[in-house]
Amino acid sequence: MTASQIIFYILSAFILGTAVLSVTTRKIFRSAIWLLFSLIGVAGLYFWMEVEFIAAVQIVVYVGGIVVLIIFSLFLTQQSGEVMAKAPVVRKIAAALAVIFGFALTYMLVQQNGFEATGKPFDWSVEKIGNSMLGTADNGYSLPFEVVSMLLLAAMIGCIVIAMKAKPEEQQ
Amino acid sequence: MLNDFLILMKQELLVTVIIFLLLFKKVSGREWSNVSLMNFVNVLLVINLVSGFFMQQTGTLFGDMFRSSELLSFEKNLLSLGTLIISLQSYNWLKDHKHVAEFYMLLLSTLLGMFFMLSSNNLLMFYLGLELSTIPLAALANFDLDKKKSSEAAFKMIISSAFSSGLLLFGISLLYGTTGTLSFGEIPAHISGTPLQVFSFILLFAGFGFKISAVPFHLWTADVYEGAPVAVTSYLSVISKGAILFVMVSVLYNVFTPLSGTWYNMVFLISLLTIITGNLFALRQENIKRFLAFSSIAQVGFILIGISGQSVDGTASVIYFVLIYIFSNLAAFGVVNLVSALTGKENIDDYRAFYKTNPLLSWVLAIALFSLAGVPPTAGFFGKFFLFLAGAAKGNYLFIAIAALNMIISFYYYLRIIKAMFMDANDRPIPKLETSFSPKASLFICVAGIVVTGLASGGYAYIHSLLK
Repeated sequence: MTASQIIFYILSAFILGTAVLSVTTRKIFRSAIWLLFSLIGVAGLYFWMEVEFIAAVQIVVYVGGIVVLIIFSLFLTQQSGEVMAKAPVVRKIAAALAVIFGFALTYMLVQQNGFEATGKPFDWSVEKIGNSMLGTADNGYSLPFEVVSMLLLAAMIGCIVIAMKAKPEEQQ
Repeated sequence: MLNDFLILMKQELLVTVIIFLLLFKKVSGREWSNVSLMNFVNVLLVINLVSGFFMQQTGTLFGDMFRSSELLSFEKNLLSLGTLIISLQSYNWLKDHKHVAEFYMLLLSTLLGMFFMLSSNNLLMFYLGLELSTIPLAALANFDLDKKKSSEAAFKMIISSAFSSGLLLFGISLLYGTTGTLSFGEIPAHISGTPLQVFSFILLFAGFGFKISAVPFHLWTADVYEGAPVAVTSYLSVISKGAILFVMVSVLYNVFTPLSGTWYNMVFLISLLTIITGNLFALRQENIKRFLAFSSIAQVGFILIGISGQSVDGTASVIYFVLIYIFSNLAAFGVVNLVSALTGKENIDDYRAFYKTNPLLSWVLAIALFSLAGVPPTAGFFGKFFLFLAGAAKGNYLFIAIAALNMIISFYYYLRIIKAMFMDANDRPIPKLETSFSPKASLFICVAGIVVTGLASGGYAYIHSLLK
């Protein structure tokens, strides 16, 4: 086993272990924190694959943005500090079975599949990503970029309308 | 290059321009009355619909990510027409609403998403179009802002659509991993039917199933349809479903051709399940919106029969049926919308003796229900006939026979409403409704559509000619 493989297994164990803890812990705030560690582990996996840009995006977007958002919304709810009820045994057994079968199925599928190498050189740099993000020719992603911006606009409008509804009387 | 861009993307560009017009109007702060704003948008929607019929060209843009053709323009025109009809129908509901401009911005964003989804030639664009066409819809489901049920509907919709998008994304990433490409043009050459590819296809299909509410994935439908405002419900059940069916046909036929044996069996099983479950649940509904929800589930089952045909006839019959379905379902929803907006009544029992007070509206609803059931002189009969014909070409006659038997069951529940309207007595019937011009115009378009497509055979031949 090479050092690289050992690092991979340590990272994977870290990701999976914190993910399991995040699902099983009975305080919802802790589960958000375990999720944070799991996402940092995924960023570590990207560093291991030497795609530093994606790793940075992972940390900025997920760790810095989404988990903070989750924690904020947990603070806004009333029961963030309370211990949640224990899951019934039947549900635990069902969950365990689902995990085992899901794992077996995925393992079998991936094992049986011969992944063919495309032969294309794997070349990334922030400059290249930037160019193809705004390019219109082959491998240019400016159209999806614009569509995402429309989606964000629509999402903002929707949020404003729904969140504004609390005080229509006060404004009048 | 610029000319190509303007012509091929003209429908998308026009919708975007309308959205931004509304946005600038909203931001500028000058208040318009709701009625004049609605008239303004309706005129813009008519322009959008009419312009779709000119300068149709075939071609691709953005390095093969976006494609357009006469068939796609036709499909987009159908969706524009449906949106216009719904916009006319929501007149009574929107008249006193506080957020008319936002309603139209969100509605048109979803239309834009559907256009991009239809034109997508790439899994990434397809996914983004799909998201753009569902996320704003969840916000729209919440537009009855003071009703709790409406918030519940929005919440259920956003959760279930997030779950289905998760399945879809997982399928897309597995497909990308095994084929090494996202382009619809290149995927078929790389599909060899390995178990992982079949699995990714199943996940993709489940994503589709959620969006069209085929049976194992239909659980969100009835609650969302019941809670959402009627205009949004009709949009969900007709326009967004129609758009996803168009894309589904093109993806199944053109991208997953190497797996056609696998997907035939899946479509066949899901179709039967959908028809039977939809019918059985529609039998016992008391709320007319829930009833129409389950009836629309059953209709999706019938559409899947046409898809299982795996031929040009299959595509043509699905598009033709969606055309008819837009007219018939929107006519039914139009009447329900009027009754709900003016009296707040939504139960089938309330419709007893509807004919005594509103003869014209009950005839419209009756014709719509006849068409949904598939009674011969109306268009619905021919729609289902062509679907069955396309499905029967595969030689699986038992499947077609069971589906046809289910069509007879569906007669019972559609005619139950007609019986309530025309034959039952009621001490307190719905009073005579004063309808304004826009809902009347929309109902007129729908009924004319049902009758004309039922009597003239040009539509099907035209769609067939587009597919060559």
